[in-house]
Amino acid sequence: MAKVTDIVLWDKPGERVLLLGNQAIARGAIEGNIAVFAAYPGTPSSEFTDTMALIARKNPGVYMEYSTNEKVAFEAALSAAWSGLRAMTAMKHVGLNVAADTFLSAVGMGVEGGFIIMVADDPSMWSSQNEQDTRVYAKFANVPVLEPSSVQEAKDMVKYGFELSEKFKHFVILRTTTRTSHMRGDVVLGELPDDIRNERRRFGEFKKDPERFVDIPAHARKFHPKILEKIEKIREELNNCPFNWIEGDENAKVGIIAPGLAYAYVKEALAWLGVKNVRVLKLGTPFPVPYGLLEKFLDGLEKVLIVEELEPVVEEQVKTWAYDKGLRIPIHGKDLVPRVYEMTTRRAVTAIAKFLGLETPVDFEEIDRKYEKAAKIVPPRPPSLCPACPHRNTFYAIRRAASLRAIFPSDIGCYTLGVLPPLKTVDTTVAMGGSIGVAHGLSIALNGSVAEKEHKEGKDKKVIVATIGDSTFFHTGLPALANAIYNRSNVVIVVMDNEITAMTGDQPNPGTGETPHGPGKRILIEDVARAMGADYVAVVDPYDIKATENAIREALKVDGVSVVVARQPCALYRIGQMRRRGEKWPIYRVIEEKCTGCKICINAYGCPAIYWDAESKKAKVDPLICWGCGGCAQVCPFGAFEPVDGGEKDE
Amino acid sequence: MSEGEMVREYNIVITGIGGQGILTAANLLGWAALHAGYKVRVGEVHGMSQRFGSVIAYVRFGEDVYGAMVPEGKADVLLSFEPVEALRYVNYVKKGGLVFSNSRPVPPVQVSMGLASYPSLDEMREIIEGEFGARFMAFDAEKLAVEAGNVITTNVVLIGALTQTPDFPLSAEHVKEVIRVSVPPKAVEANMKAFDLGVKAAKEMLKL
Repeated sequence: MAKVTDIVLWDKPGERVLLLGNQAIARGAIEGNIAVFAAYPGTPSSEFTDTMALIARKNPGVYMEYSTNEKVAFEAALSAAWSGLRAMTAMKHVGLNVAADTFLSAVGMGVEGGFIIMVADDPSMWSSQNEQDTRVYAKFANVPVLEPSSVQEAKDMVKYGFELSEKFKHFVILRTTTRTSHMRGDVVLGELPDDIRNERRRFGEFKKDPERFVDIPAHARKFHPKILEKIEKIREELNNCPFNWIEGDENAKVGIIAPGLAYAYVKEALAWLGVKNVRVLKLGTPFPVPYGLLEKFLDGLEKVLIVEELEPVVEEQVKTWAYDKGLRIPIHGKDLVPRVYEMTTRRAVTAIAKFLGLETPVDFEEIDRKYEKAAKIVPPRPPSLCPACPHRNTFYAIRRAASLRAIFPSDIGCYTLGVLPPLKTVDTTVAMGGSIGVAHGLSIALNGSVAEKEHKEGKDKKVIVATIGDSTFFHTGLPALANAIYNRSNVVIVVMDNEITAMTGDQPNPGTGETPHGPGKRILIEDVARAMGADYVAVVDPYDIKATENAIREALKVDGVSVVVARQPCALYRIGQMRRRGEKWPIYRVIEEKCTGCKICINAYGCPAIYWDAESKKAKVDPLICWGCGGCAQVCPFGAFEPVDGGEKDE
Repeated sequence: MSEGEMVREYNIVITGIGGQGILTAANLLGWAALHAGYKVRVGEVHGMSQRFGSVIAYVRFGEDVYGAMVPEGKADVLLSFEPVEALRYVNYVKKGGLVFSNSRPVPPVQVSMGLASYPSLDEMREIIEGEFGARFMAFDAEKLAVEAGNVITTNVVLIGALTQTPDFPLSAEHVKEVIRVSVPPKAVEANMKAFDLGVKAAKEMLKL
């Protein structure tokens, strides 16, 4: 199996390869002659962005940037499309909330070069804070949505999307879900355009047109009718979209509508149930539903089921059309298919069986009943901070420095895992950058601002210690910090700076200073804090737990906004780099005679490399998991941890 | 490519702990199936769940596969890198299916903290075999990987064992060849040895 970087750039049309959905979309982007790509990473969209970075490093014909947030990324890509270049941006579903201001305001301006917004939804919230359905946004903005049912379609839809966008000078959304983005599937590669083959960097031209690009009310009033006209023309066009079709039994009296990846589940369900006499409308465009094709599909049907994940977006369009046409057949959807969490084959089978009055091929409820016995004895294994993760040490230092009654607003990143025992140093997490906004709000609500005459001090002061990662700080922490300083909050903000965007897969950010095209400019968080006027600024290494604790203690003494930067590279990233270079790292072990079995290392610190040996009643270190930060040796009051020679061998 | 009739659908569920090489194993099997001419779907989980938490991946291939996830009760084989992770996902295995598991437990932090307890292999067997009617074959794959030269080849030991499953549609030689060309040159020897040790262990357990 070749390297992904090689495969996505292979000039081998017709070659059959195995690609992750997100990698296939990147291949589709270059087959579609993309010139500019800008994104902020977010699971489950990140591998698309990372594959674009790999492409840009190898092929100077493509400009790619890791932007600081989704709104900035959206504007960078949109401006390229205004200038006549094909451009894309990508984000997770909640990223569109950040970009929504530009998205909804600029949609009326349209584009010159093809413009695709790739949005990856996360039904069931495998790595997210909500499960919003991007198709609702699309309907709100009147932007068409392409939604693949396979990895092949994920790739092919990009080129089609660019053409659709250019034909109507309109935005296009390519919507995936976790299961399409993170599904590997067989893909047949297409042709690479000459610009990509010849590594030709293209530059656009911006034609001034204030009536189009300046949305003062007088201009903007003309946008709305134009948008509505466009979307109806697109609806018409999508009757001939190659990703929409009718299949199955022409004479069937029952029909199933399957948008996006639900088509895959419906196909499997029908085969599993052994059902043949149904008609299926496969929809690659859940919004807008092409009414011509819908009319053809519904012709002669006596009842219909829409197998749709999350919101009833297709269902509402179908029901509206049917009502307007006076069609009065039963149209099922959310009455049989759950509106929450992701679609599964089980859900599709169960809904279709009920719809057709059949038994399911296996008794799922019986499986559930049997499983109860297993569930009773299986211990939970939630994700945890890695061994040697600097965040663990920082949280531990915060717990030592601040009273347990302190309030700990936190943010989105690996460190959100600090909510779990034993660290429990996360009291709130809402959205990117929210830690500082919430910390400020709590400071005002509980203590009052430092500028207020009634400002409480001393014993009554509620201690608020917020945590935020480096990438999140640059993403949306900056305006919140400016606000807190300006309005004179009384908070400590600990920026957990591991010099990379770790959670989503080690992407660079302004604190890293690297770009796919060469060195960028590194921005130091302490410089930003000082320039903004923070009342106290310190930089510490969290691998020195005592020093970190002391810095936080000092910060707590200051009335005003204190910023403590806890800087230490991400352990997962660092160990990965060391492995690649064939380097060793120290590992720790427990000196049995010194271990008293007090369990502080387990019950207060909680490194996954340390486990409790029930027989000897002592702590033990798993040498395969230890990455040698030495935090355990600092935490143990009895000096029972010591480094051993060796460490992991080179692979 | 293996000889004989193409299967319509074959389902493998791979479970373990984030960081154990589950996605690599799934990817290797996906390529092996692709090179054998099959349609392939591999389902993975990325992001937060990967950080030392419980992880499940799906490998499906055949002439008729669509979605990436294996439904409950449909997996032909469950391959687990850690015993309790086999039990956690036992509901995916079909009646008469096989469960190959590394036998070395990795107790979660919750167990060390005394908040949960870790079941014995016998308790697991009782449910996997008694309730679900699957065969539970736990063996020390990690020890075999160390014997092969590197503990990191545990996933290849398990893949070697998997190829011995009765009716497994891909030949062991074919899968082994895909692994040989996929791993870094300096790791070929250990991986080949690991594969053979996995094959041998499975043959003994299955009394082949």
